[in-house]
Amino acid sequence: MATLAPGVKTGPYHAVLDHIHPEPTSFIRKYIFSIDHKIIGIQYMITAGLFFIIAGLLAEIIRTQLLSPTGAVVSAATFNQIYSMHGTTMVWFVVIPLLTGAFGNFVMPLQIGARDVAFPWLNLVSYWIFPVAGVLLFSSFLIGAPDAGWTEYPPISLQGPPGTSMWCIAVFLVGISSTLTGINFTVTILKMRAPGMTFTRMPLFVWAQFATSPMLLIATTALNGALAALFLERQFGIPFYNPAHGGSPVLWQHMFWFYSHPAVYIMILPAFGFISEILSTFSRKPVFGYKMIAFSTVAIALLSFAVWAHHMFTSGMVPWLQLPFMIITMFIAIPTGIKIFSWMATLWGGSIRWTTAMLFATGFLITFTFGGLTGFFLAAVPADYHEHGSYFVVAHLHYVLFGGSMMGLFAAIYYWFPKMCGRMMSEKLGLWHFWLVFIGFNGTFIPLHWLGLLGMPRRVAIYDPQYQFWNVVASSFSYIMTFAILLMFINILVSLRSGKKSGPNPWGARTLEWMISSPPPYYNFKKIPAVLATPYDFGNPLPYIGLDAAPGATEATPTHTSHPVPTY
Amino acid sequence: MPFREDQLAQRVVKPKTNLGPGFWPITALIVVVSAVMVYLVETSPLPIGLVQAGGPADSVDALFRFLGATGAVIFNVVTIYTIYFAIVFRAPKGAPPNSIGVQIHDAPVLEFWWTAIPTILVVILSIYSVKIWADLQNTAGDVLTVEAIGYQFGFQFRYPKLTTPTSELHLPVGTPTTIHVTSRSTDVIHGFWIPEFRQKADMVPGLVNTIRITPTRIGTYRIICSEFCGVAHGGMKGTLIVQSQQDFDKWFAQQGGQHAGGGGGIPLSAGTVSAGQALFGQKCSVCHSVGPFSQKIVGPGLGQIFNDPAHPKLVDGAAPTPQDAAKIIHDGYSGDIGTMPSAQVNGLSNPDIANLVAYLASLSKK
Repeated sequence: MATLAPGVKTGPYHAVLDHIHPEPTSFIRKYIFSIDHKIIGIQYMITAGLFFIIAGLLAEIIRTQLLSPTGAVVSAATFNQIYSMHGTTMVWFVVIPLLTGAFGNFVMPLQIGARDVAFPWLNLVSYWIFPVAGVLLFSSFLIGAPDAGWTEYPPISLQGPPGTSMWCIAVFLVGISSTLTGINFTVTILKMRAPGMTFTRMPLFVWAQFATSPMLLIATTALNGALAALFLERQFGIPFYNPAHGGSPVLWQHMFWFYSHPAVYIMILPAFGFISEILSTFSRKPVFGYKMIAFSTVAIALLSFAVWAHHMFTSGMVPWLQLPFMIITMFIAIPTGIKIFSWMATLWGGSIRWTTAMLFATGFLITFTFGGLTGFFLAAVPADYHEHGSYFVVAHLHYVLFGGSMMGLFAAIYYWFPKMCGRMMSEKLGLWHFWLVFIGFNGTFIPLHWLGLLGMPRRVAIYDPQYQFWNVVASSFSYIMTFAILLMFINILVSLRSGKKSGPNPWGARTLEWMISSPPPYYNFKKIPAVLATPYDFGNPLPYIGLDAAPGATEATPTHTSHPVPTY
Repeated sequence: MPFREDQLAQRVVKPKTNLGPGFWPITALIVVVSAVMVYLVETSPLPIGLVQAGGPADSVDALFRFLGATGAVIFNVVTIYTIYFAIVFRAPKGAPPNSIGVQIHDAPVLEFWWTAIPTILVVILSIYSVKIWADLQNTAGDVLTVEAIGYQFGFQFRYPKLTTPTSELHLPVGTPTTIHVTSRSTDVIHGFWIPEFRQKADMVPGLVNTIRITPTRIGTYRIICSEFCGVAHGGMKGTLIVQSQQDFDKWFAQQGGQHAGGGGGIPLSAGTVSAGQALFGQKCSVCHSVGPFSQKIVGPGLGQIFNDPAHPKLVDGAAPTPQDAAKIIHDGYSGDIGTMPSAQVNGLSNPDIANLVAYLASLSKK
């Protein structure tokens, strides 16, 4: 035990690690109320996937409505409910659950060489709160869904339909679910890494989860406090926010954004992790600047707690207070820039395999950079006076959330689907998916920047006729994007039934999850391996010992370098 | 055989001069494309299609151009290199499945520069933004002061010497103007956006935000609600008319623009202390204490306003008479020590004001 390898510290608990619990046999314990992180991850994925379809259709109603300046399909009241539900669903019921719930759960324990998360039962609770909250959220349509946007600023949200109170409960519940996951993952990463996996040997997706989990824990608390107060004020008239009764409407904004700005990074840091893994695997190179990427992830996580008021430059605050928030916001560009440049350098000198996952990861570099740069326009206070509350904000946030998080998620789906299901997805459909999404997405959201600068406010069901042309352009491209996403769902369903068998390691990747069979066995690892180095050194022997690898999972030592240039 | 960590220690390969086929031509392309884009951005009237109707639109637009030019350069560097690497470093057809790329882990000098250069850029952007911000803070105003009040779903405006609010905002050209922006106390948050001036402030009930502009271009402009405020939010618009001083004076006279004496006409004798005390708790105590002047919450303490030797005059410079206190409550106040919304914004009727004045007078007697 103590002689695993030089440099690998072992403790008395490692013998215990090799103990394997028997797999549950009943269907319910195996697939419904499972405590297996892999099943829970897939449950999250299916549930969030369904919500994604609903929220995507809501988005198409929004874009169809805006074909005409007077509103093409629904009444203004319905429109307000639809865009509010679109935002709420996408943020809390699609992106965050997919990033941490689905991929965090499925991939992270495998990558650290653990059998499960630290608290499997808590994980089960985390998951089951989520669909319950979703049902609650969508049943609010029956009594009048919330209509004041996903931000639900009081006092307008105090006047909102009865469903607004259900919205409070539903978001409160996903908040609890997030918090529990945050606790679970923090402890898992701190305590359950395989022997020898020091912090600087962790895969970068694990680093991303390690930075995200405490954020879930800390930030969500503020949101839940604010939501509880909003609920109490709506139902029982306890004045927190209503100025007519001595409350402060700006208080909500502070509480809300103290959560929701870190949440922006909760929604992007795991996607950064995907990109690091995927670029490295398909360039067949180590991630360039591993430590810089890891530390900049943590730097972003810390800075994200000190910038929330940049959402409130026009709300009314002491003027000088705008300056620190502006400057800290701008400084977040530095760690983010380090990542972008490191990823570009990862491509440099690679032997790049252009799979669908790789295309999405590279497309992410371009769209996310664009979204980051428009962030500067919003961070600069004087420019924000003009842009705040306009379509420019809508365009920016979709560039970082769709062009960032969703592009990352698409990449991750193509990358880890073989590990989850044991079958390959169709690369041909994947190519169509990528190019149509890339064209459709940019065509939809680039015109919206312009509309915002020209004076079109967001959250409007009707607008001035001079904006119609660019709205029609945006809507037309959005149909292309929706069609492309439909292709992805078709691809998933077809591949599940008839995709090519993937084998344990179809991509020739080196992180631990690819060393075991696909889909992984219940216990993940027959023996917990010891880890000797970072996983990314292509061409070297695998840095794992004591690993009972699946046949064909390891690669022969490569002898070729396909790099066309090298003169060194 | 167990591997030793030092066997895995990396041979860091230092790139020499050859960075890839066509690396330097591509770099030259980036420089040229960036230079052209910077030139185009800096010389075009950004945002195209939106006129400048007065200060501070020009300073904000200068910031737009600066951000746009910087952003264009960064975007070119990232996009063109990414696409170039993507093409040049693709695995050739028929490459063996286990072929690998250059095993390079880092290049500290390169990383230093791509940390240092963005840091310098961010510092420059911050300084420039702060400068424009300071210009905006120091913009002249106050020659004309107008109060803009949002309600579901429209705007109204109060001029200092008009008794009734107007539904259009008229401003004389060339006059530095301060607009105090708020919402009715029982209403919701609205936004006050004048895109042709690049200015916006939220209209928050119970809070007064300030915009300072100097109109320079005669014409009719839009006022847009930019904060979701209910079912008719999309249609909530106002009109801002910038006109010559003569036209403005004519319009102002039509509106009945003579001094009505503010609170001077309010009958105060019917005010009761108890009603005033209750009202004070609801409407005033958020910002005002009943202690001495120095006991500030947002505004000064009001416990001794009629007999405070340290402050022989009220904040408007007049002697502390009940009529003058009523006038301040009625008109609202804006000055060195802060801003208080008018009685209309606060939802106070004339009898309410009488009650409040009676209560304040009773405090000062103790």
